[in-house]
Amino acid sequence: MGEETTKKEEEEFEPKIVGFTCNWCTYAAADLAGTSRKKYPPNSRIIRLMCSARLDPMFVLKALLNGADGVFFSGCHPGECHYIKGNFYARRRIAAIRTILKQFGLDNRFKSYWISASEGEKFANTMKGLAEEIKELGPSPLRGKVL
Amino acid sequence: MKGVELKSGDLEGLFKGLLDKKAVDCLILPHRVGNNVAHMMVTDKDKIESPVPAIFAPSFSVNAANIVKGWLIKEKIGIVAKPCEIRAAIELIKLKQMDKESVLLISVDCSGAFKNQDYADHAEEIGDWVDSAKIEGLKGKRIAIREACEICDKRLADVGDIGIVRQDGDNVVVVGITDMGVEALSAIEDISLEDKDIDRSGEIEKIAAEAKKKKEALPEISSVEALEEFLRDCIVCKNCREMCPVCYCKECFFEQPLGKPVGGDLLNIAELRGAIAVPVNQLMYHLTRVYHVSTTCVGCGACEDACPKDIPLTRLYPVIAEKVQEIFEYVPGKDIEEPLPFTTYEEEELEDKLR
Repeated sequence: MGEETTKKEEEEFEPKIVGFTCNWCTYAAADLAGTSRKKYPPNSRIIRLMCSARLDPMFVLKALLNGADGVFFSGCHPGECHYIKGNFYARRRIAAIRTILKQFGLDNRFKSYWISASEGEKFANTMKGLAEEIKELGPSPLRGKVL
Repeated sequence: MKGVELKSGDLEGLFKGLLDKKAVDCLILPHRVGNNVAHMMVTDKDKIESPVPAIFAPSFSVNAANIVKGWLIKEKIGIVAKPCEIRAAIELIKLKQMDKESVLLISVDCSGAFKNQDYADHAEEIGDWVDSAKIEGLKGKRIAIREACEICDKRLADVGDIGIVRQDGDNVVVVGITDMGVEALSAIEDISLEDKDIDRSGEIEKIAAEAKKKKEALPEISSVEALEEFLRDCIVCKNCREMCPVCYCKECFFEQPLGKPVGGDLLNIAELRGAIAVPVNQLMYHLTRVYHVSTTCVGCGACEDACPKDIPLTRLYPVIAEKVQEIFEYVPGKDIEEPLPFTTYEEEELEDKLR
């Protein structure tokens, strides 16, 4: 019976994903995906930042430690930042924090993308892919821990 | 490179000369206190008494850069210290925590160091200088060198403004590395600089090979569970932050209400989550610090020395920092002109590290 329950639980596992998007590109892309009625899984909760460069890697750590199964970031394509070079700086920080997370085997739970305002479809597809990926990984090892 | 070969005993005169000729207003250098070695700050040249062998002694107390961190003053401070301390000072200059013009950085060759208290307890056995054979010998007697020193591959005096290089026998070569260093040395009367070509590439290779072997033998923290186990005894005293030369925020996030919730705030969080570990934010604190020092950590091991619970923090901070520094091809403290990785960018880079 125990086996059955775990199997059932696995089937029912719906990952919680925290997303950080920049106001000018990906947030608008998410909007476009909505207005053009593209369907994507409802696992991600989006937090809007004004720019990629606002993403303090501590946000990522905090989300993961609070039990998020996945975290993603998405902003304007490099070279197309609304504030000219915000995402260049962000890219360096993301690379650094992913290197750190990799040490503890958590790097596959933090992904980042570049999705512009016109790429509503890409946004929907990315969300679909991400939800599947995280579902495959299973619940975060930090979920439910007393931290 | 401009330099001069001296008897090691002549270094006393050199330091006195620096103070005498006002090349520096004050000198911070190691001196003997009984069995031990500690830093002192000297303005009166007569207080310098036989600085050798104290400046070479294989003992680590505090990182000298941590002493002058945040001193934005007009006076000039000379710092005589091990290469890791000098590299930390250079990072602090880049972080605008110190003025380049207000410090004269003098690095000395390092043989690796023992914890301050270990050195004091076994000063006679350890002596004034160690080599790898001696280190192994002492290990047999359960006198272990600091792990940070064991894996260090940058312990030659080739950073800062002036380098003090040990030669075979009792001689040292003092070289001016920067213009400021050369100028300071030329101000001293009894010293005449000549062109010195010292090639130490063989020595560097040997040290790097030894360090690499030790580094690979270090136990890795490779999962969340392993990290939790590693930090099991941590009481979040934050002494590792206090003693870290490159942790420099005026007010740490973990001293503020969000980072260190108390009273009703903490109660609310506990209610939200059902249960919460206290002292709060242990894992968050360490992971944040790993990120904050990731590009500037010089691997001096001061964090480990400072830990009252004897957590071997060298296996956490310097080890992970090196991996981050690798992706930016950045060596902290190597070049004062090289911008900090997070203050610069290339238009096309790192795409393979994002997802």
